[in-house]
Amino acid sequence: MNQCYGCTTCESADKPLEGFIQNLPFETSHHRVEGQSTKCGFGLQGVCCRLCSNGPCRITPEAPRGICGATADTIVARNFLRAVASGSGCYIHVVENTARNVKDVAQRKGEIKGVNTLNRLAETFGINEPDIHLRAEKVADAVLADMYLPEYEKMKLVEKMAYAPRYENWEKLGILPGGAKSEICHGVVKCSTNLNSDPVDMLKDCLKLGISTGIYGLTLTNLLNDIVLGEPAIRMAPVGLRVIDPDYINIMITGHQHSMFTYLQKRLTDEDVVKKAQAVGAKGFKLVGCTCVGQDLQLRGAHYEEIFDGHAGNNYTSEAVLATGAIDAVISEFNCTLPGIEPICDRLHIKQLCIDSVAKKANAELEEFDFENREQVTEEIIDKIVKAYTERRSNVEMRLMEDHGYENTLTGVSEGSLKDFLGGNWKPLVDLIVSGDIKGVAGVVGCSNLTAGGHDVLTVELTKELIARDIIVLTAGCSSGGIENCGLMTPEAAKYAGPKLRAVCEKLGIPPVLNFGPCLAIGRLEIVATELAETIGVDLPQLPLVLSAAQWLEEQALADGCFGLALGLPLHLGLPPFVTGSGTAVKVLTEDMKELTGGQVIINPDAKESADILEQIILEKRAALQI
Amino acid sequence: MRRIIVEYEKCDGCKNCSVACMQAHRKSAGTVYDLDLTSPENESRNFIYQAGDGTYRPIFCRHCDEPECVMSCMSGALKKDAASGLVTYDEKRCGSCFMCVMNCPFGVLKPDRTTRTKVIKCDFCAQDGGEPNCVKSCPKGAIHVEEV
Amino acid sequence: MMHVIIGGGAAGITAAREIRGWQPDAQIVMICSDEQVHSRCMLHKYLSHERTAEELDFTEKGFFEKNQIVQICDRVVSVDTADKEVCLASDRKIAYDRLLIATGAESVIPPVGDLRKAENVFGLRHLSDAQKIDKMAEDAEEILVIGAGLVGLDAAYGLQERGKKVTVVEMAPRILPVQLDEHGATAYQELFERAGVSFRLWCSVQNAVCGADNRIHSVELDSGETISCDMIVVAAGVRPSVGFLEGSGIKAERGIEVNSRMETSVKDVYAAGDVTGLSGIWPNAMKQGKMAARNMCGVKPMPGVDTEYADTFADKNTINFFGLVTLCLGALQPEEGDEVQVQEDMHIYRRAILRDGKVRGILLQGDISNSGIWQYIIKNQIDVRGKGKKLFQLTFADYFGTGERGKYVWNV
Repeated sequence: MNQCYGCTTCESADKPLEGFIQNLPFETSHHRVEGQSTKCGFGLQGVCCRLCSNGPCRITPEAPRGICGATADTIVARNFLRAVASGSGCYIHVVENTARNVKDVAQRKGEIKGVNTLNRLAETFGINEPDIHLRAEKVADAVLADMYLPEYEKMKLVEKMAYAPRYENWEKLGILPGGAKSEICHGVVKCSTNLNSDPVDMLKDCLKLGISTGIYGLTLTNLLNDIVLGEPAIRMAPVGLRVIDPDYINIMITGHQHSMFTYLQKRLTDEDVVKKAQAVGAKGFKLVGCTCVGQDLQLRGAHYEEIFDGHAGNNYTSEAVLATGAIDAVISEFNCTLPGIEPICDRLHIKQLCIDSVAKKANAELEEFDFENREQVTEEIIDKIVKAYTERRSNVEMRLMEDHGYENTLTGVSEGSLKDFLGGNWKPLVDLIVSGDIKGVAGVVGCSNLTAGGHDVLTVELTKELIARDIIVLTAGCSSGGIENCGLMTPEAAKYAGPKLRAVCEKLGIPPVLNFGPCLAIGRLEIVATELAETIGVDLPQLPLVLSAAQWLEEQALADGCFGLALGLPLHLGLPPFVTGSGTAVKVLTEDMKELTGGQVIINPDAKESADILEQIILEKRAALQI
Repeated sequence: MRRIIVEYEKCDGCKNCSVACMQAHRKSAGTVYDLDLTSPENESRNFIYQAGDGTYRPIFCRHCDEPECVMSCMSGALKKDAASGLVTYDEKRCGSCFMCVMNCPFGVLKPDRTTRTKVIKCDFCAQDGGEPNCVKSCPKGAIHVEEV
Repeated sequence: MMHVIIGGGAAGITAAREIRGWQPDAQIVMICSDEQVHSRCMLHKYLSHERTAEELDFTEKGFFEKNQIVQICDRVVSVDTADKEVCLASDRKIAYDRLLIATGAESVIPPVGDLRKAENVFGLRHLSDAQKIDKMAEDAEEILVIGAGLVGLDAAYGLQERGKKVTVVEMAPRILPVQLDEHGATAYQELFERAGVSFRLWCSVQNAVCGADNRIHSVELDSGETISCDMIVVAAGVRPSVGFLEGSGIKAERGIEVNSRMETSVKDVYAAGDVTGLSGIWPNAMKQGKMAARNMCGVKPMPGVDTEYADTFADKNTINFFGLVTLCLGALQPEEGDEVQVQEDMHIYRRAILRDGKVRGILLQGDISNSGIWQYIIKNQIDVRGKGKKLFQLTFADYFGTGERGKYVWNV
């Protein structure tokens, strides 16, 4: 027998990564898929209810109602609403911290790196303030004030941020959200024991939560971060495990809150701090991008070339990143920080630090980020990491993977940088769509999971199928990490595209898949979609545009998905979100939604079939637009 | 004799039967609420396996008419009981050769996980009056006992 | 009806039990050389003092009384097939209507040096062998085992557990050469070595000379090395015990010739187990004994009751030393054109040899849970393709079928 922990790891779209993980001497999530392969049918269908002590109740032909009388429809809708409310809570937490950071920076007259974005938001919000810092503070305040409204008062920025035809639709449906935090509270109350039993009413609440999540948690988080962290700029950067340079003290970052790293990432390049690293034999410090916060750094990487080498991998690549041995510390602030990294960190003596208690890992030290005390906290963190580096480096084996990933991967794409690239307006892209050189647009977003074929398998296969059909793919979230590590974001990947899209890519020197960065940037995709619709003069559901969260993983993704549905977009999922036990829920999500918002859910685990369905929808929308 | 009849079409893969089996055979006293589902010592004698199409097949000991396990037992630990028709297993006599594991044509048997000295084998819940707990626990009625 | 069974091993005991099942009133006489019924597969546990002689018994308490079997402890010297009599060393003669020969096999001591002559050289086949070894081991420090097959390793295991310094000499380049590939064998070798056993592989005993005490105190290997020893266990193979059949007219070459009904060349005489030379595997011996018994009772085949020994697949073994378990089935060495699939991690080693979608051989080490399906797949030459799973993920679920009375049947 050899030293591999187990050879029954799941498949991965990234074959070198699959081999690397298979050869590791310790357990990862990829090893655990097989042991969890027998899934409970009740759980999969969402018809297991544990809301009261009579439970768990499960729905069977002989027992079609729970003891309380709840039907499958009620149980499923309650479970789903609970998940969406939790997911919304996650993103609202992120935007709250982000807005607070903008306010803190502004009050202390800190650097405003994204003046354009600030001005754009101020204009949208109707804020007329000549002083740049006061302007930023007022923008942040406007967002915070809205979020803290009670549930019975509608948020004021929704109308300003949303596309007018959409706003009208939401108003008509009665799904305009009240204060974002209160809506979460309202949602969890609604789905608690023996309260609401109306599946349609609860699903409408999901849409409401989708709107507050999308406009605040996604769109505004990006824009607020751009104000203080800088706007994305298109460039080439390396991706994959190759970015890890063992000569440095390496810090892997996980989470979703880029703003929390601002001060640290600046300090790590200051001469006195670099000297600390040099004193123990390292060249300096590097942040190694992992999960969405890594994508955020990658996206804005033009501003941080000294400290950030590139994005190493997404959620289920994080264990492999640690396994290289060259990571000395993990700093996590939010989710996609897998519990399974803990034993790996223990074994490889990797220091775990958490800077936001919501992501406190069992064996991590909590060094709560606190703007007031940022200097002191940052110094403590740095000293702990230097100590970890000193103690561990001679004791751990390196398993570097220097050839993994790609060197020239296009990054820095945003609603702003893409428009600039196109010459300052969307007409060139609209023309390509009208002419059919680009058949349509697909946002392949969300996470990676290990069960839809394996790690990134469906995401990557679907992306290949879509580009082969001349559909340009825009990505945001961990899907980006998987697709980029499989090489589809290099200009050379144009060869995988259909002939028309390939010609467009080769002419412009771009890949057929454009990376918008973290899952938060789904908000950016939606700005692009809205501006395209505006340019053409139609509503969003009429665009030849589809969304796929092929490998959605977490509750957050479900809240994102609800935003997509509220926007009226077709949304593909590889695996059903535990709703199939309810005929009503399935009908509302996959059929009735077309009448309500114009959106629809499509569930299909097969890449080719899914691409066929999405292509057909695009063709129908093109036909309706007579293009 | 009595046998657990399997209607696999009804199985939803919830593994309640496996949990019930572990609970029925645990060493310490307690209820299903405190059954340690992480202890390797708690092993189920039945298995829910997935077929290639994602549907489930409950794999339960048949207490065969002509038991291949008994026909491979070199210690006398495994026996076909003439009166009950059950295939019984005497852990103390077992020589841990695991030829029974090799010989069971349905792959029901396995060596115990922690010591590799015993065979994990269905005893029809003899300790509970010969009424198998797996059957009692199935919410779908996918397994039931029949006189055959 | 008078049934006489010679031999109280797997085949003999199974046959006696089966006869009693079919014929409650028939007379059954069993002649065995050892008084104590014992499983030879557990002799190593006797050597290690994990079990007493009584604890090697694989029959239930009161087996002979309950089944009304007359047990005679004696040695058979000849069989008179004309008068249908068995002659014993005590000059007693036992008449039979049906005779089953299930005498098993004897250790072969190779004609090297004084191995056959010395009084401190033993085979390990019967309880009596183990008892002799055990007795002499009391005063022995260094013990040499010739042969690293299953029996040789049984001896080595049992004696090292007693704290003896054991050295094993094996002609093949690896231990368990018939059962395991190099990789699988190395895992056991390491466990034995960790326990203090040392190996001399790829070499053989060239000479062994008795001292004045009629004991061998050292052997010379063809490698030139001399190994000192206080006693020797030889595990270099067996031959069927057929010596007493001379002149009986029962045809025997290497073993007694039988047809699928276990009938020998002489009417009313049957043979089963290792004495037939068909297989050295316990389950097969039991099956042969069972089929012989049914035919001795004149049972006609009917659904659910076979009377022919048809399941002859014998390339099968399980191994369990120091808690490391292994299953080996079918072909061991791949031939040209075969596909070999290997899976390995820190808990398991799996290797399969395939040709045209059919498994020719399989080796599972470390975890053999639920592995019973492989024997069925190999001996029935089932094409394992097209199940939407990787080879080692296959379970009975992929072939699941049910038959009458809730039985499982293979659906292929």
